[in-house]
Amino acid sequence: MPKLRIEAEVNGRKVDRETEPHKRLLDFLRDDLNLTGTKEGCGAGECGTCSVFVDGKLVKSCLMPAGKANGAKIETIEGLAKPGDLTPVQRAFHKTGASQCGYCIPGMVMAATSALRENPQADIEEIKERLGGNICRCTGYTKIFEAVEIAKGVIAGTVPETALEEDMVDDSFIGANVRRLDAPSKVSGRLKYAADMKLPDMLQMQVLRSPHAHARILSIDTSEAEAMDGVACVITAQDVPGTDGFGVFVHDQPIMARDKVRHVGEAVAAVAAEDLVTARRALSKIKVEYEELPGLFDPGEAMAPGAPVIHDYAQDNLIKHIPVRKGDVAAGFAEADLILEDDFSTQQVEHAYLEPEAGVAYVDPDDVVVVISPSQNISHHRHMLAEIIAKPINKVRFIMSPVGGGFGGKEDMIYQGMLALAAMKTHRPVQLNFTREESLIASAKRHPSRVHYRMGLKWDGRITAIEFDMLSDGGAFGMSSEGVMRKAAILSCGPYEVHNLKVDTRVVYTNNTPSGAFRTFGGMQAQFATESMMDMAAEALDMDPFEIRRVNMMKVGAKTHTQQTLETASLDRVLDAAEQASRWEKGAPRVRGATRKDLNGPDTRQPCTLGARIKKASKDSDESERVA
Amino acid sequence: MLTYDAYHMPTSLEEALTLWANAAEGSRLVSGATDILPWAREGRAGDVHLPEMVDVTRIPDLDGYAFEKGRIRLGANTVYQDFLTDVTLMRSLPCMPYCAIWFADDQIREQASLAGNLVNASPVADGTPAVVALNGEIELARLDGGQIVRRRVPVVDFITGPGRTQIAEDEIATAVIVDACNGFGGSFQKVGQRRSLVISVACCAALVKTDRDGRVFEDVRLSLGGVGPSPIRMIEAENTLRGERISHGLIEQVAQTAADRVGSRSRQDYRREVVVNFIRAALEDALADQPDIDVKFEDQEEQINA
Repeated sequence: MPKLRIEAEVNGRKVDRETEPHKRLLDFLRDDLNLTGTKEGCGAGECGTCSVFVDGKLVKSCLMPAGKANGAKIETIEGLAKPGDLTPVQRAFHKTGASQCGYCIPGMVMAATSALRENPQADIEEIKERLGGNICRCTGYTKIFEAVEIAKGVIAGTVPETALEEDMVDDSFIGANVRRLDAPSKVSGRLKYAADMKLPDMLQMQVLRSPHAHARILSIDTSEAEAMDGVACVITAQDVPGTDGFGVFVHDQPIMARDKVRHVGEAVAAVAAEDLVTARRALSKIKVEYEELPGLFDPGEAMAPGAPVIHDYAQDNLIKHIPVRKGDVAAGFAEADLILEDDFSTQQVEHAYLEPEAGVAYVDPDDVVVVISPSQNISHHRHMLAEIIAKPINKVRFIMSPVGGGFGGKEDMIYQGMLALAAMKTHRPVQLNFTREESLIASAKRHPSRVHYRMGLKWDGRITAIEFDMLSDGGAFGMSSEGVMRKAAILSCGPYEVHNLKVDTRVVYTNNTPSGAFRTFGGMQAQFATESMMDMAAEALDMDPFEIRRVNMMKVGAKTHTQQTLETASLDRVLDAAEQASRWEKGAPRVRGATRKDLNGPDTRQPCTLGARIKKASKDSDESERVA
Repeated sequence: MLTYDAYHMPTSLEEALTLWANAAEGSRLVSGATDILPWAREGRAGDVHLPEMVDVTRIPDLDGYAFEKGRIRLGANTVYQDFLTDVTLMRSLPCMPYCAIWFADDQIREQASLAGNLVNASPVADGTPAVVALNGEIELARLDGGQIVRRRVPVVDFITGPGRTQIAEDEIATAVIVDACNGFGGSFQKVGQRRSLVISVACCAALVKTDRDGRVFEDVRLSLGGVGPSPIRMIEAENTLRGERISHGLIEQVAQTAADRVGSRSRQDYRREVVVNFIRAALEDALADQPDIDVKFEDQEEQINA
């Protein structure tokens, strides 16, 4: 392959290298120069984790062919401050807690640095606009904007440098602003996530994924791929030496598809090769014969007689049913003055952590299989993998690399097993970095749910009975479904004392992308239904929505839905605080009409709009002309 | 993943044209590369291997801009960010800053060129309606017996369909020539699936010049993108407005005619509704954007009372 020569200045040092012509600037920085502070979050210019300066202008290095760097001056996160030092922007990010998982932070620091270099007087609207190309999933941006404003003041000299120092903490850490211990490693780009790690002699893995939602695998022919120069191994389900199957509750998911595929994007085979390009080319040489099976895409149809069966062990496609019973529901409804009935549905949601799944595995000289990955559940993974690869537990080691955002999405062992198998087959370190598209298609999602709700009430707002029936789409594998249903059932009727209730949460298999753990773990779907019902009940009873909640809230001594007696309760104070903070206009929902007085008060965040700087630029130029 | 065997960065137009004429079949010209890299990914083109890439951004002849008799010749290396940082361009091309601010983000705008956006000929390219409203032409160069030969094609004719243009195999786009519209108010409307960092579903550009009293439309330019295979210039609407007393009623009447210009096959009803609102908002925003002119609507009172 012909080479591309790049002569450039990188972080003040001369660089003269030959590299592959097709590399992006991002690859050249990360792979050739080992400047891994610049991250890859999407590879498509959307997320900004790869932002670097080229000739003083901030660009996305995933959208820049490396050739464009020739003769250019490049500045990366590693070059902003001298080793051991941090810039005011970096120190401000540390101060305000702007870095959480930290994966977006090098790019975010670069964008903030660029904003203040382009316009040291930028107001907050302009700062937001200039940071618009960088996505953060942890912070909600508030702490980031706070940091940029402090840094702006310090750089301009309008705020003393002491503003960057840690706040004093008095007697209690509660309510105090305490800096995160790991923030300096994140704001400087020094922290190594799994994709940033390099081991000598390391192979790159790529995964062949199913194009079908439900199909029988008739044959897999890997011979042509295996014969390719640069390919170290190809693995399939046949390479699993032990008892295949993992999952948080039910071990229904094979390391790679075994006999059949159950969702689009399921791993079918994987290649480990000397480099990424070879691994990807080898994937196209693997021949898989499928026989398509009828697919099941609607959870409502999963339990119907004659529905396609996704897993042999569950002929009714039921993953889990959690029932909760309390009191006498029939008596409760009989006592009601008003019965409300409605249906609620929620959609599938992706976690969208900025760090796509990544991992490294190797076999150490004592035959210990080591897997490094941002797993949210390493001990469980370790036990499951030991069974799968038929090794004693002391020969399996999991190392948790920094998690660049998880939110529940990294609890499932969807790729660590493949890495272990390839390392065992080659005795070389193997790395797998998901693309963003791969992360979207293969990782678990929030359960889409449907709730049928019945609520009985007295005219004074008291709930007399609730029937809560939830059906969730578990997708192709069980993953965390059982726990999510349990949590949904426990929290189903909200923080309200209900003496008579009948709660059922069910989750079923379909051929959709698997559902799994996601922040609130089933609570969100249930509360959407319950709180919507409370608002509709307030409307029907002509009550203030806060009042109907106060009438029903759990107090000390209340029995929860699962009949635990509460020794503490704080909902009264929560409601008071929320009512006050929202400047709530008292009254039943109908009294406000189209013009509410409690909207758009101070501290209300205005919607994003762009273009503040256009007006400003034309005004500034008019003024400068008048002066001239 | 995009791979290729060679990446060329010619430093003169002649060198570029020679490289391009001799490049292996399937090779590509590259400007900012912000479109081609996301294209070669799963879900779109997938893994793509190309023989050669010819990058035009190091050709000095394609840099900068020059005024020529009421027109501006924007070199093909003019990037979207230039419309937000160069005060002369902002003043002379009043619809371009609004087009640029909704185009991707600051970082992508530093790379993405206007000429590249036009040549890619996406039916929803943001730059197209704005350039069409500015009576834009694209300048194309090729080698003929060792000599550089250039021609100019109006952009409204240049784009013939999704991804299709009149550019010949051996040609390179060297400039975009547009009207200098000093004194006009400009605006740009766009809807997409999100508010930023997203490709338009439909877009619209407007340029308006009134008399000094702000009572009469002296000149109006309106164009639509994303509602058909190629950009649409709203000539009839412009003629209806030109010379007329400015009123909300007249703007509404003209806006209603826009719905019938929608030719897209997908989301037709949505687009029909959107373009009516677009024309109304585009004209009102452009009127408000005129420097130092306070627009007086004939039916201002009525509107307030209504």
